[in-house]
Amino acid sequence: MAKQTFTTGQVLTAAQMTSLQQTAMGGGSTTAKTTSYVLVAADAGTVVQMNSASATTITVNTALFAAGDTVQIQNVGSGVCTVTAGTATVSTSAVLALKQYDAGSLYFNSTSAALFFAADAADNTSPLTTKGDLYAFSTTNDRLPVGTNNQILVADSTASTGLAYKSVGVANGLTTTGDTIYSSSGTTQSRLGIGSTGQVLTVAAGVPSWATPASGGGMTLISTTTLSGASVTLSSIPSGYVNLVLTVKKATNSTADGNFAIEPNATGATGYNWVTGVYDGTAYAGNSTRVRTLTTQLRTNDANALTTTFYNHEQLDWTAFSMDGGYYSGDYHALNNAGYCYVPASAITSLKILNTGGNWASGTAYLYGVK
Amino acid sequence: MTKPMIRIHDIATDEIIDREMTDAEFEIHQAEQAVYAAEAAAIAEAEAVKEATKQTAQAKLAALGLTADDLKALGL
Repeated sequence: MAKQTFTTGQVLTAAQMTSLQQTAMGGGSTTAKTTSYVLVAADAGTVVQMNSASATTITVNTALFAAGDTVQIQNVGSGVCTVTAGTATVSTSAVLALKQYDAGSLYFNSTSAALFFAADAADNTSPLTTKGDLYAFSTTNDRLPVGTNNQILVADSTASTGLAYKSVGVANGLTTTGDTIYSSSGTTQSRLGIGSTGQVLTVAAGVPSWATPASGGGMTLISTTTLSGASVTLSSIPSGYVNLVLTVKKATNSTADGNFAIEPNATGATGYNWVTGVYDGTAYAGNSTRVRTLTTQLRTNDANALTTTFYNHEQLDWTAFSMDGGYYSGDYHALNNAGYCYVPASAITSLKILNTGGNWASGTAYLYGVK
Repeated sequence: MTKPMIRIHDIATDEIIDREMTDAEFEIHQAEQAVYAAEAAAIAEAEAVKEATKQTAQAKLAALGLTADDLKALGL
C-alpha cells in the first residue's frame, strides 16, 4: 500500500492489514505504467510496474520522498525501462537500464538521494550453452565458447571478451619426428614437416622450408641423345653452368672408320679458331671449326667412347677444351688426350657431333652441366 | 639425289628433329667429306710407305743375316 500516516487509536481494516502485509513481503499495491513515468510521493511503498514494448524511463525527483521510503520498480515489457535521476541523485552498483523482467528497489537516504538495488533477474541468466563454456564479460555478461582440444586460454585484446582459446605451444601441430614449428603469419604458429635426407633448411617466400641444396660442383645431366644421321646437333644448351661435359659412348659408324669431331655452335667453315693446343701429343697450332680426334676408330666397335669438357663455355675471352677419347683401332686400344684453348665469338649454345667416317650407326651422347 | 640425314636435339623443348641436310649444309658436308677422304688417303699412303720401308729394312737385315733381336742386343 502507499505510504500512510496513521493516528493514535486508529483501527486498521482487514484490507489495510493485508496491504501492509504485502508491502512487508516486498509486494503491495502496484501501479501499472505503459509510458515513461515520473515518480510521485504517493508511489512510496508501492510497486511501479512498467509494461511497454518501447523504451521508457522512470524519473526520480527530489522533495517527494522522505528518508527511508522505498519504491519497487519492475519492468515486464519488452522495451528497456531506465531509472533516471531527475532532480534527485540515484546511486547504484548495477545498471539502471532494466530489461524485460528486471526489477529493483529505490531506497531514499534523503529526500534528494536514492539508492537503487537491482534484483536484475534477467542479467543473471546464464549465457552458457555448451560443455566447457566460460562465463566472461564484454560490455555485458557473455559466453566464451570452449576451444578445441589442446588449445589454451590466452588474453586477447582483439576478442570481444578479451579472452580467446588459441593453438599455442610447441606441442601443437607436430605429427612427425623432426617436425618444427614456425610463425607463418605474426603469432600464428604452423608446422614445418621434416624434409628428406640431404635437404637443407632455407627461406622461400618469407617462411622457412626444406629444399634440396644447389648442386654446386656437381654434374647435372642436361640431355641424352641417340646418335643418328650424318651429325647430331645439341641445340639450345641452357645457360647457368660453368662447364659442359659431353660424353659419347658406344659410338659406331655405318660407313667407314673415322674420327670423332665436335663443332661448337655449328658455325661451319667460318667458325671458331683454335689458337693453340696439343693434339695427340703433338704441338698443334692452327685454325679449325672443329676439334677432332686423331686416332681413327673402327667403325663397328661399340667400345668407342669420348669425353670432352668445355671449360668456361660461356666466357667470351677464352674457353678451354680437354678431350679424352678411347678407341679400338684394330690391333690396339688408344687413348687420346688433347687440350685446346680458343677464343669464342659467343657462348657455346650448341654442339654438333659427327664422325669423319660417315653416318652414325649407334651410340648415345650425354651432355652434363657443371656448376 | 637424297641428301644425308642429320639429327637436331633442341634441349630447351626436348624435341628431336631428323631431317635431310639443306643444300648449303650438303655443300659443306661434301667438301668436308672430300677433305676427310683425302686425309684418309694420305694416312693410308703414309702407312703404306711406312710399311714398305719397314719391309725393305727387314729384307736388308735378313740379307746381312741379322734379326730385329740382334739389333736390340746391340742397343739399336
